[in-house]
Amino acid sequence: MSDTADRIDTVEMPREGLAVVQASDISSERLELSADVVIIGSGAGGAVSAYELARRGLDVLVLEAGPYVPSKDFTEDFTESLETLYEDHGGQANTDGDLLVLQGRCVGGSTVVNGCVSFRTPDFIFEEWHRDYGLTDFTPESMAPYFERVERNLSIQENRPHEIARHSMVLSEGARKLGWSVKPFKRNIRECALTGHCLSGCKTERKQSMLVTYLPWAAAHGARIHSDTRVDKVLTENGRAVGVEGRVVDRTGRHVADIRVTAPRVIMAAGAVQTPVILQRSGLGNDQVGRNFACHPSFYVGARYPQPIHPWRGAMLGVYVDEFMHPDKGGFVLEVGGLGIAELCMINEPGTGKPFVEYMQNAPHMAGIVTLIHDHNVGEIRWQGDHKAIHYQLSDKDFPSMMASLKAAVRMHLAAGAEEVFLPSSEALSVTREADIDRQVDKLVNKPQHLRMVSYHPQGSCRMGTDPAHSACDPQGRLRGVEGVYVADASLLPSSLIVNPQVTVYALANYVADRVT
Amino acid sequence: MTSSPESDRAAARQAAAPMAAVSRRRFLKTALLGTAGLAVVAGGTFAVLRRSPVDGMPVPDGIRHLSHSEYHLFRRAAEVLLPVAGTPLTALQEVPVVAYIDAMIGMLPAHLRKDVGAGLALFDNAAVVSGWHGRRFVDLDDAAAVAYFDRWSTGNVIQRTMNAVIKQFVYVSYWRDPKTWPPVEFDGPVSDRWGIAYLGNAPLPDESALPQTGAQTVESRP
Ligand SMILES: Cc1cc2nc3c(=O)[nH]c(=O)nc-3n(C[C@H](O)[C@H](O)[C@H](O)COP(=O)(O)OP(=O)(O)OC[C@H]3O[C@@H](n4cnc5c(N)ncnc54)[C@H](O)[C@@H]3O)c2cc1C
Repeated sequence: MSDTADRIDTVEMPREGLAVVQASDISSERLELSADVVIIGSGAGGAVSAYELARRGLDVLVLEAGPYVPSKDFTEDFTESLETLYEDHGGQANTDGDLLVLQGRCVGGSTVVNGCVSFRTPDFIFEEWHRDYGLTDFTPESMAPYFERVERNLSIQENRPHEIARHSMVLSEGARKLGWSVKPFKRNIRECALTGHCLSGCKTERKQSMLVTYLPWAAAHGARIHSDTRVDKVLTENGRAVGVEGRVVDRTGRHVADIRVTAPRVIMAAGAVQTPVILQRSGLGNDQVGRNFACHPSFYVGARYPQPIHPWRGAMLGVYVDEFMHPDKGGFVLEVGGLGIAELCMINEPGTGKPFVEYMQNAPHMAGIVTLIHDHNVGEIRWQGDHKAIHYQLSDKDFPSMMASLKAAVRMHLAAGAEEVFLPSSEALSVTREADIDRQVDKLVNKPQHLRMVSYHPQGSCRMGTDPAHSACDPQGRLRGVEGVYVADASLLPSSLIVNPQVTVYALANYVADRVT
Repeated sequence: MTSSPESDRAAARQAAAPMAAVSRRRFLKTALLGTAGLAVVAGGTFAVLRRSPVDGMPVPDGIRHLSHSEYHLFRRAAEVLLPVAGTPLTALQEVPVVAYIDAMIGMLPAHLRKDVGAGLALFDNAAVVSGWHGRRFVDLDDAAAVAYFDRWSTGNVIQRTMNAVIKQFVYVSYWRDPKTWPPVEFDGPVSDRWGIAYLGNAPLPDESALPQTGAQTVESRP
């Protein structure tokens, strides 16, 4: 293995773009490749692992199912971005169809389309990991160097005053009136251009996603990246990983080639839905693979204000309320988030006909709060033979926190001066006065297709822990039952984080990469 | 019309996402045993349900994926759901809402297309008994059509699903058209218009200035 410091002086970094082998570059029907380590997925976990291993001199091959879309091709049209950049064209849902599970599906993964919010793992989550999963090596102190590395690498810093858009200013005021703790987000962004289009990918490369950071860095150290390449199976011999096989499929869905990679180490970083699916298709791991899925089911609670807000203008995410973050205080976070017109017309049910038209006429006067709860790991990801299934129903245990987060969001809107707050349900329900909050919100029940929920944070489906009966991976990220297979993505998280997970995934991927032998 | 296969497919998937709940089995179990489907069960098939004057009306050229009755259902749904006349919003005639829906429907995967079709037929026909309108949805007057949607928004799981799916197809098809943006001051794409400079890739990290984390030694292939 070569010395890291020497290599940095000699590597070449392109100013822009990324060298990626795409389906259009493949001319044979069968591709046979080999590497020291093959990484499945190029998102938060995959990209960080790729860089950390490549800079240590390993021959790294990254296989990414989604396309390579250079920033310049981002359209800032959300509907179109769903098609090009998201899993299942943005339509990935649970089996009940009332929870959209959004994930990126492109080179860079979800980091390309995420909202840039950057949190370290909360201390009480580490405590939970010690207590419930025996993960005593994970403490705020032991993980600090990992957090610091990624925070510096990704220019993570607190929002400055000009990055607090009008929606965030108005709602901060509401929180302050209620005496609640409200703080500016930290984000992984350089010189935010305040376009508000984060979820369609950052066209001018200000978001420090994997597309413009760890992947080009990994490539500079020799890592090879193949897009349009969906891994179906991990291959093993005598209880050891020997590689992977999959298909190269172009953007029109045409099967271009079969691919087989020989490699003694396989890093699973396909995200918390796909990683367990690939393992199940390969017949690998114990019965914990696919279980314990959590996802921070979220509401977008929209409200109409007397003054114009233009929720699509300015930095998309400005401030958050951490007053209720600790499970003893409620176990939820409120995040003020902007959104565009396409999203606005789908998130609320203001009523049929005239009420809807009035609601949309007032679009410039809308602002919204995203609720995140510390949900229990009640879901399961299953490969059903020809398709994946996300079995996740909001549990009765989590329903009260979901409702508590909703009530708090409504209160905050009203305190901020909102005229009407819309409840995220299939029927038209709204609140105009503090005194009506309980009566209106208590009409909501935990039944399928009643609540409008979205998840941006799938997690936990191959969780780590010390007890093999309750974990799919050991505390080093090694998949149980087979040598040479590591998990380095959000699947690994033993419990839901309550905060946005990207920084935790980066830190854990770095941690796992350090332990790859 | 600004529409591309990319955005059609994405919009269709989003609008149809609630259909994940509507498997054939669930149709039988939930919808057909509820009030919405009584007529269907009684008659054994949709064919027995009321004829409508729209059955004889033409479908414009260019509609490729919607069936005759689906076309008329969406045309009527758009009128009911988007009563924009007399408001500053862009007139319905200026936005090819049903043409967008047609393109989106054409992008749905086969299994979903089938379920959406069954759900639409149920929605149209069940109005005969659901709410005792005695007519299909396409023949309801505005007030009855609004009441019908509202009833389905609080009904059983299939009814809530179809209420959401039809509304989402119609809303997304209208609001995706840039002609609808100026009245609500939506800015749309801005980076090119504002001439924002590209930053390019972030420079390679200076490892000597970063905290080190103690990696294991790994053997490269011989
Ligand atoms: C819209 C949105 C907004 C978000 N906002 C925030 C935020 O503001 N802050 C935050 O902390 N987090 C946010 N997140 C979540 C965050 O981005 C994820 O938690 C994180 O990226 C997860 O990392 P991962 O490596 O597990 O998966 P991903 O980053 O999703 O990467 C997985 C990759 O694997 C690829 N893949 C899947 N299957 C295969 C296969 N079979 N073969 C090959 N490749 C495959 C996928 O295409 C994808 O590129 C957001 C996510 C979304 C979708």
